[in-house]
Amino acid sequence: MTSIHVPSPIIQVRNLGKYYGNFDPAMIERTGPEHGTARDHVTASIVAAWGVNFDVAAGEALGIVGESGSGKSTVLRCIAGDVAASTGDVRLTPFEDGNVNILDLDPSARRQLRINTLSVVYQDPAEGLALGVTAGGNIADPLTAAGWRNFGAIRDRARELLARTEVPLDRMDDIVRNFSGGMRQRVQIARALANKPPILLLDEPTTGLDASVASGVLDLIRQLLEELQVAAIVVSHDFGVIEMLTERCLVMQHGRVVEDALTDQLLEDPHHPYSQKLVAAART
Amino acid sequence: MTLETAPQTSPTTIAQLVGHRTTETFALLDEESKREIRRALLQAVCIPGYQVPFGSREMPVARGWGSGGLQVTLACVGADDAVKVIDQGDDEGVNAVNLRRLVTMSTGIDETTEVDEATLIQSRHRIPEDDMNENHILILQVPVPEPLRGIERDIRELARMHSEADYSRMWVSLYEDKVRNGVITQSTGYPCLVASRYIVATTPIPRWDIPRLHQSKFLTLFGAGREKRVYAIPPYTDVEPLTFEDVPFEVESADGATCRLCGSSDSFLVEMPGKQESWSCSDTAWCRRQRNT
Amino acid sequence: MGYAAARGGLNAILTAENLVRRLRDLDPSDRIELDQFTGRLRLLVDRVMGESGLWAPELAAMALRQGEGDIIEAVHLLRAYKSTLGRLDTAIPVHANDMQLVRRVVPAFREPGGPQILGRSTDYTARMLTTTDREIVDNGASTNAIDTAPKTRPSNSRMSDALRDMNLLVDRRRTDDPEPFDITRTPAKPPAPRSALLSSMARAETGALVNQWYRNILGPDGYLHEVTLGEVRHGKLPINVRHPMTGGSVNIGSFRATEVEAIEDLNGSEEDRTRFDVGYGFCFGHNERKAIAMANLDIACYRDGAKSGLEQSLLMTTDGLDSAGFLEHLKLPHYVTFRSMIERKVAVRRVAEESK
Repeated sequence: MTSIHVPSPIIQVRNLGKYYGNFDPAMIERTGPEHGTARDHVTASIVAAWGVNFDVAAGEALGIVGESGSGKSTVLRCIAGDVAASTGDVRLTPFEDGNVNILDLDPSARRQLRINTLSVVYQDPAEGLALGVTAGGNIADPLTAAGWRNFGAIRDRARELLARTEVPLDRMDDIVRNFSGGMRQRVQIARALANKPPILLLDEPTTGLDASVASGVLDLIRQLLEELQVAAIVVSHDFGVIEMLTERCLVMQHGRVVEDALTDQLLEDPHHPYSQKLVAAART
Repeated sequence: MTLETAPQTSPTTIAQLVGHRTTETFALLDEESKREIRRALLQAVCIPGYQVPFGSREMPVARGWGSGGLQVTLACVGADDAVKVIDQGDDEGVNAVNLRRLVTMSTGIDETTEVDEATLIQSRHRIPEDDMNENHILILQVPVPEPLRGIERDIRELARMHSEADYSRMWVSLYEDKVRNGVITQSTGYPCLVASRYIVATTPIPRWDIPRLHQSKFLTLFGAGREKRVYAIPPYTDVEPLTFEDVPFEVESADGATCRLCGSSDSFLVEMPGKQESWSCSDTAWCRRQRNT
Repeated sequence: MGYAAARGGLNAILTAENLVRRLRDLDPSDRIELDQFTGRLRLLVDRVMGESGLWAPELAAMALRQGEGDIIEAVHLLRAYKSTLGRLDTAIPVHANDMQLVRRVVPAFREPGGPQILGRSTDYTARMLTTTDREIVDNGASTNAIDTAPKTRPSNSRMSDALRDMNLLVDRRRTDDPEPFDITRTPAKPPAPRSALLSSMARAETGALVNQWYRNILGPDGYLHEVTLGEVRHGKLPINVRHPMTGGSVNIGSFRATEVEAIEDLNGSEEDRTRFDVGYGFCFGHNERKAIAMANLDIACYRDGAKSGLEQSLLMTTDGLDSAGFLEHLKLPHYVTFRSMIERKVAVRRVAEESK
């Protein structure tokens, strides 16, 4: 599996792997697409993701597509630091010029990365927001974590972000729990962008939303990715989302990458049987 | 020069063992206990604002009633000290009187109401109005030493927040407070950043007293007996009340009220409730001196 | 004249102390002798010793008398007294199997190995208040002569051993022997070793442990289930120390304790569902409800694996002196804080009015 070469990558991922349970080197061979499962029948361990390699350039959005259980969210969470990877090398150019494997950092350092370098938008806004805090307060959080101490400036920046994500400013001081799902997601996006991170990870950003609302949020994300030229990873089971947001994507099945192609080409001419199956299903 | 062997001092019988250990205790606690508390206090002074755990002993006063402040005072006191004890600024408050007599009874040292005569000042909820200097140690009684208690209850998460200086949720709560109420509504025990590192609970001292901690000439020790922690603000340490650059820290305002006894408006005043408000200085010794001079 | 601002505060205190002493000591009834506590109110004495962490029946009786029967007051007196005592030595660890039993019940089996002794328990007595003051006369004619000195029997088998032999018990026994955590010298907080948890509970307020247990079984946020009891025992254990010269073990006394082993059904997805696990309860004196609650909470805390706040609740909110002291400290003057709170309310109101 050769991955597409990317000049000057912002994100470099090599051999990323995550398993649950006991490790037995042979279990890698006993799991994956050829075996139709990520679960090793001998050790009962689960190889949630293995041997994942890719690069992402500045201004590029990489999609990771697959059904649930494919390992796509696992990959995102390992990079985000929400899950401890079992193995791998992940480097981010904005952090120490890409000379440090961020998987080796302690939890405190990983949290620091999340303030200025890397932001995550979760499928469930409740995971990325404090529901009992106002919309403005949720944005004040990363700002103060980055050292902002001027109340007026914090308010201004929050207004700016909420306006950009099309959240009515008269709701800035309402607690997020009182917002609809679509609005919560917009606040989550505003918050993720607070400190102008060069890297953005989006995990099924519109999956939990009503269809009528999802397209609006999707369109917003598309505009933002274009505007901000961040390096982004978009995880979704929905080809519509992948098509709209990404130029390249990886297809994952049972924890492994089975195909790595330009998004347009993949949709037109998928090579791997699993990709073909997914694309066909999406077209119907 | 001959090598002198040490005289035989270790006890060899139970009777000797008992006699050996139950010598007259100075300051209620045995020497080992006091040494242990002093070790914790030294750690606290070395790491300003850090809450140092210690083996808090049960005292003749109940937990929550000054057992920590008392242990700190007893660990610090020497034969030449003079102690002042106040509660709400009042030397004659019943709890202050009780604590003071426990100190003097077990040490024989002098007690005083005057700051300039004291070397140790144990206080609940006030810093005396008088200036203090390098000759003073202020010992504050602490009900709840955890400044982040309002935003987090899990001990493990609190430890992480302090160790990583991850105080963002505290800032968010200040932001929310200001947004909701127009002012930051923390009354006493205002959270402060000490030596640009740890946020501390300043105990329920009024905001009026907070500026006195910044770059103070005196050492301030904090004793939380029930929660079994001590912490310290050494002299000449930065103490900054948490607030936004453009939201000035506000001390209590009495709207121009003056003390009915001494006429002062330049001290922390407390009022009698009811239609005809009547204010007086919380610091009774200071007030008395204003009247006498 | 408020008590907070009373001038002559010392007089106020001395008067209060005098009043307490006089009304207590000069009550027209007969003064209670210490042996009346230890002889006729033994369960009260046992409970106070358990919550003080001090085995000293006579001192506990004194503390109860001085504290006019208030358990927390008595515990405070005992613990504060303990603070003035130096530590002479540490006893040699004793195995609970050395307990000379006066009572043992094993609910888990009909015919367990070893003796089942109902012993001195009110469990099956009819709770009918006797309102007539009958004088109890023992003329020796009764064929059911009750020996007031309970016969003790050695405990030579224990339910957890039996379960282990049946291969029904998870084996969590350590092979190392770490120093037990001393909660009187170092405050325990999560994550804490099991010895810290057990000693905190051994010294906890009885009602606090019973309530922790009950609210975790039936309360809105509870998730525990009742255990099956393997052992409920009460008996005497020896206190042995090392002779400073010979190095041999010397018996210097004994104490009574209550010991409970609670058998827990493992049904969690990550657990060994073919086996049981065991929780342990132990406290001074005869206090079964405390030891049973303790045993159930011990295994619950282990199974919880720090997912919930149970460990924090047990380590930090079950001490009687801490909880009662902090609660009652609310009676102290708080007028400086209150003044500051009023000031903030005025400030908020002012801002609200200005923005109109």
